[in-house]
Amino acid sequence: MRAGGDIMRQAIRFRRRGRIVEVRDFSPRTLLLDYLRLTERSVGTKEGCAEGDCGACTVALGRVRDGRVVYEPVNACILLLGQVDGADVVSVEDLAADGVLHPVQAAMVEHHGSQCGFCTPGIVMSLYTLYREAERPVTREAVNDCLAGNLCRCTGYRPIVDAALAACEGPPADRFLAESETIRADLEGIADGADIFVGDDTRFFAAPASEDALAALYARHPDATLVAGCTDVGLWITKGMAAIDKVIWLGRVAGLDAIEAGPEALTIGATATHSAAHASLGALDPDMGELMRRFGSVQVRASGTVGGNIANGSPIGDLAPALIALGAALELRKGDRVRALPLEEFFLAYRKQDREPGEFVRRVSVNRLGAGDAFRCFKVSKRFDEDISAVMGAFRLALVGRRIASARVAYGGMAATPKRAPETEAMLVGVSLDDPASWEPAFAALAADFQPLDDHRASAAYRRTVARNLLAKALHELATGRTDETRLVGERPALQAAE
Amino acid sequence: MNVPLKAIGQPVSRVDGPDKVQGHARYAAEFDQPDLMHAAMVLSTIPSGTITAIETKAARSAPGVHAVITHENAPRLPYAPMAKRPQVDAQGGDQLKVFQDPTIRFNGQPVAVVVAETLEQAVHAADLVRVSYEHADGHTTFDRARGRAPSRGNEKAGRPADTEIGDADAALKSAAVSIDANYVQAREHHNAIEPHATIAAWDGDHLTLHDKTQWPDNDRDEIAHVFGIKKENIHVVSPFVGGAFGSALRTWPHVTVAALAARVVQRPVRLELTRRQCYTSIGFRPHTEQRVALGAAADGTLTAIVQEAFGQTATYEEYAETTLDPARNTYACPNVRTRYRLIEMNTNSPCPMRSPGVATGMLALETAMDELAVALRMDPLELRLKNYADRDQHKNLPWSSKELRACYRVAAERFGWSERTPEPRSMRRNGHLIGYGMATAVYPSHRAKASAAATLLRDGTALIRTAGSDMGPGTYTSMTQVAAETLGLPVERVRIELGDTDMPYAPVHGGSITMASVGTAVQAACQALLDDLAGVVKASPDPRLAAFKAGTPEWRDGGLAGPGGVISFAELMEGLGFDRITAEGQSAPGNESKTHSSAAFGAVFAEVEVDPDFGTVRVPRIVGAYDIGRVVNPKTARSQCVGGMVQGVGMALLEQAEWDERFGRPMNGNLAEYVVPVCADIRSLDVTFVPGEDTIFNPLGVKGVAELGLSGVSAAIGNAVYHATGRRVREFPILPERLLMG
Ligand SMILES: Cc1cc2nc3c(=O)[nH]c(=O)nc-3n(C[C@H](O)[C@H](O)[C@H](O)COP(=O)(O)OP(=O)(O)OC[C@H]3O[C@@H](n4cnc5c(N)ncnc54)[C@H](O)[C@@H]3O)c2cc1C
Ligand code: FES
Ligand code: FES
Repeated sequence: MRAGGDIMRQAIRFRRRGRIVEVRDFSPRTLLLDYLRLTERSVGTKEGCAEGDCGACTVALGRVRDGRVVYEPVNACILLLGQVDGADVVSVEDLAADGVLHPVQAAMVEHHGSQCGFCTPGIVMSLYTLYREAERPVTREAVNDCLAGNLCRCTGYRPIVDAALAACEGPPADRFLAESETIRADLEGIADGADIFVGDDTRFFAAPASEDALAALYARHPDATLVAGCTDVGLWITKGMAAIDKVIWLGRVAGLDAIEAGPEALTIGATATHSAAHASLGALDPDMGELMRRFGSVQVRASGTVGGNIANGSPIGDLAPALIALGAALELRKGDRVRALPLEEFFLAYRKQDREPGEFVRRVSVNRLGAGDAFRCFKVSKRFDEDISAVMGAFRLALVGRRIASARVAYGGMAATPKRAPETEAMLVGVSLDDPASWEPAFAALAADFQPLDDHRASAAYRRTVARNLLAKALHELATGRTDETRLVGERPALQAAE
Repeated sequence: MNVPLKAIGQPVSRVDGPDKVQGHARYAAEFDQPDLMHAAMVLSTIPSGTITAIETKAARSAPGVHAVITHENAPRLPYAPMAKRPQVDAQGGDQLKVFQDPTIRFNGQPVAVVVAETLEQAVHAADLVRVSYEHADGHTTFDRARGRAPSRGNEKAGRPADTEIGDADAALKSAAVSIDANYVQAREHHNAIEPHATIAAWDGDHLTLHDKTQWPDNDRDEIAHVFGIKKENIHVVSPFVGGAFGSALRTWPHVTVAALAARVVQRPVRLELTRRQCYTSIGFRPHTEQRVALGAAADGTLTAIVQEAFGQTATYEEYAETTLDPARNTYACPNVRTRYRLIEMNTNSPCPMRSPGVATGMLALETAMDELAVALRMDPLELRLKNYADRDQHKNLPWSSKELRACYRVAAERFGWSERTPEPRSMRRNGHLIGYGMATAVYPSHRAKASAAATLLRDGTALIRTAGSDMGPGTYTSMTQVAAETLGLPVERVRIELGDTDMPYAPVHGGSITMASVGTAVQAACQALLDDLAGVVKASPDPRLAAFKAGTPEWRDGGLAGPGGVISFAELMEGLGFDRITAEGQSAPGNESKTHSSAAFGAVFAEVEVDPDFGTVRVPRIVGAYDIGRVVNPKTARSQCVGGMVQGVGMALLEQAEWDERFGRPMNGNLAEYVVPVCADIRSLDVTFVPGEDTIFNPLGVKGVAELGLSGVSAAIGNAVYHATGRRVREFPILPERLLMG
C-alpha cells in the first residue's frame, strides 16, 4: 500500500523503558492513557477526567530537538497512541531506579506534596519536565506555570510548590540525563522519515511525512479527521463519543511546523505547538507572550498547535482574536493549490470556517509592529490559569504622536466567531490618548459591533461591560504607559513582594 | 536507642509517600482480577417520569457485549431494610433501588448497564441503548414556597426544624442595631481527583469488592442488605482512596450496579464513573439559601440571632444538614431562633461534603457578623471577642477545651490585622482594591466506636491493622505514630494496614473523627498487646526473663526495661518462642459528651485583591490559627488546613454547579467548567496551631482537623471582598460578574 510517500511503515514505533516498542495493530482512536493503563497495565498513570483538565494522566514525551533530547509533559488521556511515534515515553513508574527516588519524588515526600496521592503521579511527571528543562534558578512563577494543568484537591498546592523549588535548587542530574546519548541514538534510530499508515482504507491511522504526501492522502480521504495536537479532537473521542475511523496525524509532516521569524514578518507553520511558538509570539509583543503563558496548561501547549487552534474555529479560542487584531493572513492548501486570506475571513459562522473538503491549514503570518504601533491583548476568566476566556480583547493601534491613526480591534467570546469590531475601529480613528472623553464614542460603538449572548459562562451584560473595560484599560495603559500598575501580569512582582 | 521515643507530635513524613510518588499505590479501579470485564452505565436524560421502552438490541449485538441489564431483565434484589447510620445516610425516605422499576427520579439515574470485554466496547454499546420516557411533572426549581420541615428521623439525628431560646424576634425588634440579610450557597461537588470506581467479583455467594469508600465496614453492610446475603460473605478492600471529602461516606447505587453486573455475567466486573457521571451518581453539597438577622446593643453585645435555612434534598430520600448548629452555639446570645426547611427536588441525593452543614451555616453567620460589625462601626474581630461563648449555650454544657481566644490573637498578629483601615475601598495597591476580612472557624468534635489489632512479630516489629480507610489526610502516618509511641518503637518499625473488612471494625472515615476514634483504638490495642506480653513474661519459666518479672513492667526503647537494662522485643519474642502475638483494642465514646461539649476552633483572616474593571478577585494571603487539641503530626495537620483553605477559596470565588432548570441537571459537569482552584490561584497560606490538649474528650487529647480547615474560610474571603470594594455579594461563589454587575 502507498499513501503518497516513498517508503511506507505499517506500524508506529516509540521508545519505552529502554526498549523500542512497535505497535502494528491498534484502533486509530486508541488513546495513550488507555494503552498504558489497560494494555500495558501500567496503572501508575491516573485518569481523573479524560478531558485534559486535571493532569492526573501526565506523562513525559522525549523527542530530539536541535540534537538534544527534550522532555515535555502531555495529557495521555487526550493523546492518540499513534502520536507517540518517534518519542521516548516516560511515566511515573520509570523515574526511580533501584529503589532510589528521583529528586522530584524525594522532594515530594519530604515536603508532603501528596495527600490522597491521586494527582501525585501527574504532578511528579510535570515536575520532572520542569526539573529537566527549566532554567535555573527556578522561580515560584515557573512552578505555577508548570502546574497550571495539574489539579490537586487535597494539598492546597503550597507543599507541592515547596517540593518543586527544593528539587530544582541545583542543576538537573538524573539517570535520564546520564543516559541521554543512548536515548538520543535510539530515537534517531527510529526516525526514518517514512509515511505511516496503519489500517485499511476504511479505518486507519496515518501520519504522512511530507506536505505532498499529506495533500495527496487528504485529497483521497477528505472525510478523514486531521489531528494535530489532538487537544480538541481528544475530547470529541472521550466525551463526544465521535466515530472517528480515519485519522491523519499531522505531527510527522516535515516542515509544517516551521517558524520563520523574519525582520518584517513572523510566519508560523500550522503544526507548530503553542510551546514552540510561544517565544516568537512573545517577541511580537509581551502581551502575546502573556496570552500564551495563560493558554491552557503546559501539557495543552506542548501538544496543541497554532493551526489546530485556528482550524477548530471556537468562538472563545484565544489565538484568533489576537492574530486578527495583528492583521494575520492564513494560508491553506488543497492538493497543489495554495491560497491565502485575511484571518478574519476564515471564520464564517458558528463553528463554520472557510475550508473546503480536503483542504488544510498550512501556516499563518503576521507583520511585525511598526514604530508607531501599539498592541494590547488580555483575557478575562474566572480562574487565573487554565480557564476558558469569558471575554478576550485584542487591539492594534497605529499612533501618530498621541493620536490614533488607525485601529484593528477584535474580540473573542462576544459573538459566534472571533470577530473584528469595524464600528469601534472607525470611532477610534483620530482619537487622542490625552482626552479620555473622546474615547466614549468608540465604547458606544461596541454595542453596534457585538450582540453577545447570555450563557452559563457569562451574561451578555457582563460581556459588554468587560469588553468596554478591556478597551478602556488598553487606552488608559497607552495613555499613561503604566502597564504594570493596572494588570495582574505586572502585579506579579508586587504579589511576590507581599509574601 | 536509649532516648525515650516521642513519636506523637513529630513532623513525620508520610509513610505512604514513596509509594504514592512512584505510582505504586493501588486505587479501587486498579486491581487485577482474572477475566475482568468492563461496565458502562446508561443514565436517564429526564428528571422525572417513567421509562416506557428501552431498546437494547443494538447494544446486545455489539461486539464484545455480554449483558445489557435494565429494569426489565435485572434480577430482583431484596434491598432488605436496614437502620440508617446518622453519619452517612439520608435520614428519611428510601435509597435508590437500581433497575428495580421504571420510575425516573432524577436526571442522571442509572437506567441500564452494559457489560463487555473491553471498556471501549462497553462504552460504545451503552451509546446504542435507546430509552423512551413518559415525562411527569417534577421539581427542578429551588422553590422556597415548597419548603417543609425535616422528618422525625432527621430531627432525632440533630437536624431540628425549629429551635428557640429566649425570644429572638422580639429581641431583634428592640435591638439598638440590627441587620437582616439573605445568603445563597451554590450546589458544590466534591470532585476528588479519583473518580468513584468499583471492581466486583463473585465466587459462589461470596463477593469481593474493591471499592472507593471512606467506610469499608459500611460498604459491606449495605451491599449485604441489598443482596440479602450475610455480611461475612462480603470482603471489601480499599487500601487507598484518591480523595473523597464526603463523597465516599455512603455506598452509592453504582456499587450495587457493579455487583449486580458481575453476578449476571458471572465474571469480575469493573465500573468506573466518568467525571461527568460523578455529578449525578454520587452526592454533592446541597444548594442552600439562608436568612440571618442579628440584633445587638450599641456596644456590640448580641441580643438576637435568627438564622433560617432552606436546603435542597431529593424526592426519594431526605438528606438534611447541621447547617444551623453554628447559630446556636458559636456566640453567646440570650435569644436565638433557628428554622430549617427542606425543598424536595428531582435530583440525586445530596450528601456531606467537607465540613458538611457547618461550612454552609458559618458562611451565612460569619458574613452576617461582618455586616453587623459594619452597622455597629465596630472592628469585626472585636465584635467576635465581645460575644465570645464561654459555654455551649445550646447544650448548656462547658466546652471540654476551647482556645479560640488564642486563635484570634495569634492569627490577627500574624496577619497584621491592625494595619487594616476600616473604611471599605480605603486600601489600594497598584490600581487594585485591597480588602482584609476575617471569620471564626468551628467544627464539632465527635468520636465513635472503633477497634484495632496490634501484632508484635518475631523480628520485633509491629503490625497494626484496622478496617478504617485513609482518603488522604494521613491516617497511615498518624496511626504509625500513635502505635510507635505507645509501644516505644521507632516509627520505621511499625507498619499499618488499612481499608479491609477482614480487619477489626472501624467507623466511618469522615467528620474528622478518625484520630479521636481509631487513634484511641490503636492506642488501646498497643496497650493491650503490652499487657498480654507482660502476662506471658510473668508466666514464662525461661530463667533469662526472671529479672523482668518484678513490679509494673516498664516498656521503653523498643523493649522491656529490667534491672540489667532493656530486653528488646525481638529478644523477648525469641525467648518466648513466639512468631507473633496479637491483641485487639477497642475504644468508644464515654460520658464526655454528657458532661461537656467538644469542638475544634479557629480564626481565619484573608486578604483579597480586586481588579475593579473586571471584578476578578485574587487571594494573596490567608492566615489561620487553630485549636485542634493535641497535634499528632504537624506536617499532616498543617496539610489538612492548607487544603481546607484552598477549598475555601473555591467555595468563595469559583465553585458552583450551574443548574439547568429545564432538565434538572448541572450544565457544567466537568473540570473545565466547574472550576476549582489551580496552583496560581493560591499564594501565601499561613497555618498555626495554638497549644492545647483535650484529654476530657479522649485519652489522646486530639480533636479533629479536616472539616475545621474549610470552616469560615469563604466568609473571611467574602468579608475581605466587601472591605475591598464596598460591595456585599450575598450569593456565593462571588463570581466576577456578580461583583462587577451586582
Ligand atoms: C485543558 C484544555 C485547555 C485549553 N485551553 C485553551 C485556551 O486557553 N485557549 C484556547 O484558545 N484553547 C484552549 N484549548 C483548546 C485547544 O487546546 C486549542 O484549540 C488547540 O490549539 C487545538 O490544537 P490541536 O493541535 O490540539 O488541535 P486538534 O485537536 O488536533 O484539532 C482541532 C481541529 O482542527 C483541525 N485541524 C488541526 N490542524 C489542522 C490543519 N492544519 N488544517 C486543518 N484543520 C486542522 C482538526 O481536524 C480539528 O477539527 C484547551 C484545550 C484543553 C483540553
Ligand atoms: S485524566 Fe484529567 S487531564 Fe487527563
Ligand atoms: S493529593 Fe489528593 S488530589 Fe492531590
